[in-house]
Amino acid sequence: MIPLMLPAVSDAEKPFVTRLSKNRTDSPWESWCIESSESQSVFSGENGLFQIVGPGIQDLDGDIVIVTPAAGNAERIIRAGSTQNSLLVTERCDQLCVMCSQPPKKTHHDRFGLFVQACLLADNGITIGITGGEPTLYKQEVFQLLETVLKARPDLKFHVLTNGQHFETSDISQLRQELFRKVVWGIPLYSNDAAEHDEIVAKTGAYERLHQSFDTLLLSGAKIELRTVVLQTNLNSFPALARHIAGLLHFIEQWSVMQLENIGFARNRWDSLYVDFRKSFNPIAQSLDVASLFGIPTKLFNVPLCHLPEFHRNFAVNSISDWKQRFGEKCLMCSKKETCSGFFEWHPAEMLDEVSPL
Amino acid sequence: MEELDGLPNLRSRTVSDRHIFANEEGRFFKGQHDLLSRIGSNELSDQELKFLQKRHLIKSSKLVKHASLFAQARRKTNVEGLEYLILVPTLRCNLACSYCQVSRANENAEGYDWDEATLGQITGLIKQFSGRSLKIEFQGGEPTLRPDLISAVLDAGSHIPDMTAVICTNLQRLDEEILTIFNRENVQISTSLDGSLITHKAQRTQDDASTSQFERNLSLVLKRYGPGKISALPTVNPNDPPEIDSLVEAFVSRGFTSIYLRPINYQGFARKQHPESIEQSGHWGAYYSKFIHRLIARNWDNRDQVIEETYFSHCLNRIFKPGLDRHVDLRSPNPVGVDYIVVDFDGKIYPTDEARMLSRSGIIDLTIGDIATGWDSPERRALNEASTNADDPDCQNCVYQPYCGRDIIDDISRYGRIDLRRHETNFCKRHMSIFDLAFSLIYSNEDAVQYSLRHWLGLSGDSITLGESI
Ligand code: SF4
Ligand code: SF4
Repeated sequence: MIPLMLPAVSDAEKPFVTRLSKNRTDSPWESWCIESSESQSVFSGENGLFQIVGPGIQDLDGDIVIVTPAAGNAERIIRAGSTQNSLLVTERCDQLCVMCSQPPKKTHHDRFGLFVQACLLADNGITIGITGGEPTLYKQEVFQLLETVLKARPDLKFHVLTNGQHFETSDISQLRQELFRKVVWGIPLYSNDAAEHDEIVAKTGAYERLHQSFDTLLLSGAKIELRTVVLQTNLNSFPALARHIAGLLHFIEQWSVMQLENIGFARNRWDSLYVDFRKSFNPIAQSLDVASLFGIPTKLFNVPLCHLPEFHRNFAVNSISDWKQRFGEKCLMCSKKETCSGFFEWHPAEMLDEVSPL
Repeated sequence: MEELDGLPNLRSRTVSDRHIFANEEGRFFKGQHDLLSRIGSNELSDQELKFLQKRHLIKSSKLVKHASLFAQARRKTNVEGLEYLILVPTLRCNLACSYCQVSRANENAEGYDWDEATLGQITGLIKQFSGRSLKIEFQGGEPTLRPDLISAVLDAGSHIPDMTAVICTNLQRLDEEILTIFNRENVQISTSLDGSLITHKAQRTQDDASTSQFERNLSLVLKRYGPGKISALPTVNPNDPPEIDSLVEAFVSRGFTSIYLRPINYQGFARKQHPESIEQSGHWGAYYSKFIHRLIARNWDNRDQVIEETYFSHCLNRIFKPGLDRHVDLRSPNPVGVDYIVVDFDGKIYPTDEARMLSRSGIIDLTIGDIATGWDSPERRALNEASTNADDPDCQNCVYQPYCGRDIIDDISRYGRIDLRRHETNFCKRHMSIFDLAFSLIYSNEDAVQYSLRHWLGLSGDSITLGESI
C-alpha cells in the first residue's frame, strides 16, 4: 500500500501546494530536493524549507502535495504517473449509505483554493477525481473549481462522485457549457425500487430526487457514470434495475456494477451485506446480459476474475487502484493476474486464500 | 382507471399470430390484439398499465419524456466526417464472373487504372486526414493487380492512429508482393466464396485451373493468418440457390463462423436479361428464412461453435441497440458522401458501390464529384434530401421504422425513381420479411432458437428473456 499522508515539518504560516522535484527548479510552484535519504527528504521552495518523512525522493518526484504545517503533514494529492487521484473536498454528507466506505463527518474544512492550485499543476491530460462526503453540498464551489481549472487546463478531465441530490434545473445553463463535457458524474443508484434505494442510502425521497437530477443532467448533456454496489439487499433487484436503466437511463456513459469494499460501515456489516459471486452470481449475470442487450456499456468493478463465470469475465475491469490493491499467495500461479483486479488491501485476509488461479 | 397523460404512441404488427407493439424509440413488447383501441378508450387492465409504467412507456414525468426524445434521436444516423473510403485503383480483373459485367475491364486493357494525378489526389486526401480512425476498402476490378497503388495508399495513412484496410480480392494472384501487403497487421482480406467449389467455379472461376488456384490460395492465407484476418462472402443466385448445408460446410470447414449471404445484384444489361431479379423477395425470403433456421439447428446440435448470418445478426442487434449506424445498407437518415465515398479508377466519386455500377452501366449518372475538385456538390445535397425514412407515410406507420433504413440508390437502380410507395419497393419487402423473421424468433419458445439469438446478440446462451410480454 502506498502511503498518501506523510509526516512533514515546515515553518510556513499557512498550508501550501507545491510540486516536488528531484532537480533544481525556478518555478514558484515547485520545490526541489536538497537532501534525501531512504527515510526523509528536505525540499526548498517559495515557502521555505520543509521536510517530508517517509519514502525517498525517487518515490516523491513529481508528486503534487498539500503541506499543512500546523498538522505536521504533507498530503500527496496528485501523484506523478498515477491515474487514480482524488480530492476529498468535504466529509459531510446528507445520505448515510449502509455500506459507506468513507463514513461522513459533521465538520468541514474548506480547502477549495488549495485544490484549484493543485489541479493547475497536474500532469498533462490526467483525470482528477472529486469525492466526499458529498461534494455537491458545496455545489457552487465545486462548479467554480471545475470551471476555473478547465478554462486554464482544457487538457484535464474530472470525475465527480456525487449522490445526485442537489442538481437543480437552474444549473442547466452552467452545466451545458462545453467545458463540462470533460466532467463525468459518478452517481450511485442501488435499485429500481424507490423504497429499496431509499433504505440503502437512509434518506426518504432520495430516489425521486435523484431522478429529478437525472433529468437536469440529461438536459445539460452531462456525462453520467451510474454506479451500483452489489449488496444482499439489492441483489435480486439487479435484473429489474438493468431494465430500468435500459428503458429510462440509457443516456448514461457507463453502468458500473461494483463489488463491496470491506471498509467503512461495510466492515461491521460484512456478513449481512457481502454477496459471494461464486455462489450467487445469477441475478448479476442476468443484469449484465440485459444491459449489453440494449447497448448499455457496463463494467464490473472490484471482482477477482476467478470469482466470475468465464462468459462474464470480460465485463470485469482491473479497477482497484495500485495503492490499495492486494493479491493472495496463490495468485502468483495465475495466468490472469495482470488483468485481474485482485482484492482491496483491507479485504478480510482469509478471502485472499479463496482464489482459484486461472 | 386513472387518467394519464403521455399515453404511449405505439405501432403494431402481427407476426406469427403474435401482436407486437413498439414505440417511436423502437422499444417493443407483445400484447393483446386490441391494446391500441383500449388505450384509446382508457380501458387498460391494471396489469397492462403497470407494465407500461414500469417500462417507462407512459410519459408520466419530464425525465421519461426527455429520455424518450433522446432515445429517438439516438435512432437517427449520426455521422460527421469521412470514416470510410472505398477505392477502386483499377477496373481490370483477371476473372470474368458471370454476374460481374460492368465493374470490370480486361486484365490487359489500358486506361483503367488510377493515373499519377489521381493517385496523388487520393494520397493527398489521406495525408491530410486528421480524424482518429479511417477504414479503407480496396475494390475492383481486382486491386491486387496494382499492389503498388495499395501500398502507396496505406503508406499515406501511416499517421492515422486507427487505420484499417480491407482488400477485396479474388485470390487468384498471391505472390511475395501481395503477401507483404497482407502481412501488415491492419490489413484484412475479403474474398468471395460462393459455396462448394463446384458452385464457385460455375459462378466465378469458370475453369478448373483458376478454381484450384483460388482454393490453394485461400488455404494458404487461412493457414498463414488464421480465419480472423479473412472474411469470405457468398453471392447466391436466388433462383437457383445452393444447398444450405453444403454452403455452410464450405465456410465452417475453413474456420469461418460468419456468413454474409448476398443475393446476386444484377445491374444494367444483366438486369435486363434477368428481369425477375428486380423483385427478388419471394424466392429469396424463403431461402433466407430456411437458412437462418438451419443455422439455429446446427448451433443447437453443436454447442462448441456459433455460426451466424452477418446481416441477420446486424438487423437483430439493431432492434435492441440504438446507435448501430455504421452499416451503410441499413440506417436512416442514410447520408451519402458524408462518412463514406467510393473513388473510382478515373477519380470520379460515387455515393456507394452500387451507384458506381449503375452509372457505369449507363442507366443514370450518380457521380457526386471527383477527387480533384471535391464532392460537396448539389448532386450530393439532392440525394441527401431524400435519404431518410422519417417522412415516408408507410414507414411512419411501421413498427420497424426505428430499426429500418433507406436506400435510395437501390430504389433508383430497380425502379428509376425514388417516390414509389415504400411497401412496393424491394428494399421494404426484404426488410419487412427480415424483421418479421426476427420477431417470430424473438418470441419463439424453442430453446434452440433462444440459444442462437442470444449468442448472435452477444449474450451468454442461457440467461434472459429477449421479448417481453404484458
Ligand atoms: S487467482 Fe488471483 S489473480 Fe487469478 S483471477 Fe483469482 S484473484 Fe485474480
Ligand atoms: S421500409 Fe418498409 S419495413 Fe422499413 S420502415 Fe419503411 S415500411 Fe417499414
